Amino acid sequence: MKKILLMSVSMLTALVISGAVMASPEEDRAIFQKYFKERFPAVPTEEFANGVYSIDPVGRENWEAIEEFPPYETFIDAGQEMWEKPFANGKTYKDCFPDGPAIAGKYPHWDKKKGSVITLPMALNACLKANGEKPLKYKKGPINNILSYIAYESRGQVTNVVIPKDDPRAMEAYEMGKKFYFTKRGQLNFSCANCHLQNAGMRLRTEILSPALGHTTHFPVYRSKWGTVGSLHRRFTGCNKQVRAKPFKAHGEEYRNLEYFLTYQSNGLELNGPGARK
Amino acid sequence: MQKTKYLGILVLATILIGGIGCATAGSEKSAAMKTEMTADGAKQAIAAAKAAQKKAASVSGEWRDTGKIIKAAEKALKEGDVKTAIKLANKARVQGERGYEQMMAQKDLRLPAYFK
Repeated sequence: MKKILLMSVSMLTALVISGAVMASPEEDRAIFQKYFKERFPAVPTEEFANGVYSIDPVGRENWEAIEEFPPYETFIDAGQEMWEKPFANGKTYKDCFPDGPAIAGKYPHWDKKKGSVITLPMALNACLKANGEKPLKYKKGPINNILSYIAYESRGQVTNVVIPKDDPRAMEAYEMGKKFYFTKRGQLNFSCANCHLQNAGMRLRTEILSPALGHTTHFPVYRSKWGTVGSLHRRFTGCNKQVRAKPFKAHGEEYRNLEYFLTYQSNGLELNGPGARK
Repeated sequence: MQKTKYLGILVLATILIGGIGCATAGSEKSAAMKTEMTADGAKQAIAAAKAAQKKAASVSGEWRDTGKIIKAAEKALKEGDVKTAIKLANKARVQGERGYEQMMAQKDLRLPAYFK
């Protein structure tokens, strides 16, 4: 009897400890969203899809003016041409993505067969390779055209990243993304969370730090600083460089898992890409 | 009595921290001083920097400029500026060491208080 009691107590203790250390993705998301609700009580949750402009009224005025003549429009048109143009074998992207072009809401997702997170740019390149075409470069160039077109066509879809429970590797990838998010790196010793969670809304020189909630809804974005449209992983690269850490490969394991974790936190928010940012 | 006890602990902690700080600074200084101001010394310093960079990269802890600093050290050595080459190589080595330590200190995920 004593033994059974001891075992039950130790199992319960282990459960409590493991719960404290490793929260479920659902619990993480609840904490994430609650954090921003408490920090910016006047901002409705759906507004966070507008990124920093949900909390920066002055920046928002400029952004709304920019959106009257969106700088990303030509990229959408170029992307549509890419989507419709047949490959050398006569097939098109539509053959790879029958539900396309409005497919942004399906990414990132866990691919059980590949044992990896699959991002939209990776899926596009896989389509090109399967059709004997040269894959596109991930950070700069034409990939951003087709991403802009797909994002535009996917507007209104809702972020709905799933962490399948039947494959522990998916949870592992999520946890790796989470670890990346909270790990301080680079010479300046900053984590993603330091800027976009802990200090969201604070000023960094002349800029207001954007909230992490809604970070993934509006990519790709036309950044005035870039003078072109760029992808989420290009932005990750920029953030890492800013804290003086060596950036990782676009769509490599680190950033894929980071995207998986980060996008999951915005589940329920509408996609509204491509966006325009400073 | 209680006050004296706390004061004692405070003084002891200060001495200990100070001691560790001096020891660390001392070991860094001595490592830099051990390097001979010759082309071979510079080569050794660059090799040490590259090893530290690799070690940091092995735990995803490489810093942005380490590679660039090593390249600059190599360039300085090529131009015969041994002093600059050693100075830069040592700087890169310290970056590599710090990057590795940074990641090791965060081996396990510890969530910040604001995310609980």
